[in-house]
Amino acid sequence: MEITRFQIILIMGFMALAMRALPQLFLAGRQFPEAWDRWLRYVSYGLISSIISVTLFVSGSQLQTSAATRRALALLVAVIIARATGSAVTGMLIGALLTLAVGWFSH
Amino acid sequence: MMSLLARFRQGMQAAIPIWVAFVPSSIAWGIAAQRHGLSFNEAMFMSAWVYSGPAQFAVLGPLAENKSAMQVLVAGFLMNLRFLPMSTALTPFFRGVKRIPLLISSHVVSASSFIVPYVQFQKERASAESAAIAPPPENGYRNLLFFLGVGITSFIVWVAGTGTGFGIALGFSHRFDEALQFILPGYFAGLLVVEMKSLPMLLVCLGSLIAAAPGAAVSSGWGWLVTAIAIATLVWGVEQWKLHASKSF
Repeated sequence: MEITRFQIILIMGFMALAMRALPQLFLAGRQFPEAWDRWLRYVSYGLISSIISVTLFVSGSQLQTSAATRRALALLVAVIIARATGSAVTGMLIGALLTLAVGWFSH
Repeated sequence: MMSLLARFRQGMQAAIPIWVAFVPSSIAWGIAAQRHGLSFNEAMFMSAWVYSGPAQFAVLGPLAENKSAMQVLVAGFLMNLRFLPMSTALTPFFRGVKRIPLLISSHVVSASSFIVPYVQFQKERASAESAAIAPPPENGYRNLLFFLGVGITSFIVWVAGTGTGFGIALGFSHRFDEALQFILPGYFAGLLVVEMKSLPMLLVCLGSLIAAAPGAAVSSGWGWLVTAIAIATLVWGVEQWKLHASKSF
């Protein structure tokens, strides 16, 4: 049986909803043991860090070597500014502007 | 005490940087979907129903090339697997909330709508603990409203951005691509570093940041996910071991 593109998107959405909803439906309000709570926190921060890395430095399964240096520099500056000012938005804005400036100058 | 509506508004205000980040990425997705030959309805349906930027981008190629449904679904599943620990980490903060609101609101769990409320709830819990204040009984609903203030508005921006991107398609200058691509990861990194309080957390973040790229090179679907979980578990395991060792002496 041929599955249409619309049906594939529909199934994909149900799968995503299951990932999001199952913990909410069956674990909501449960106070986890301290050790488990800490593990979940570390996994969450690890996943966010991985997403940062993959978004900036990887395309498909290839390391984006040509852009990696300037993006790493922008990330470093953003992190330092965010830490120094206590504002994630300020760090992000300065990092984005730096990326833009370095990109324009290098062309 | 802050009213529930004010709590929702507080969430909305916290989401503003996410909207800023979502505008270019959702427009980029709309443009990419149009370029890959998806119809307007398919692109909008995918943004509204799947609502997962990385998964949407990951399956766009195989979907457009009419690759096997199984391949598309497995890729989507792997990309969306990250919602499981994120959603689980939020659950202790929604105490007392009924299942139907939880089911409906869970649809707007994303990396962005997870990290902003999660950091906020951790901060509030820490300040309540330091002031020795018992959490109010309606805490679950208050937290849910903050979460929805972030999640619903970000969702609307994402879907509206998709439509806009589809419409303007090639009208956006590629000169801004670099900066636009930096916004979301730059904001995530800022959030993490502002809240960073312990050496184990620093090790988890740095380790995952460094290991994700080689991990993704080995397997673009699983690699970054497995490395993040492995590093977090390793750091946690060492910390647990040190705790046990210090107790036994």
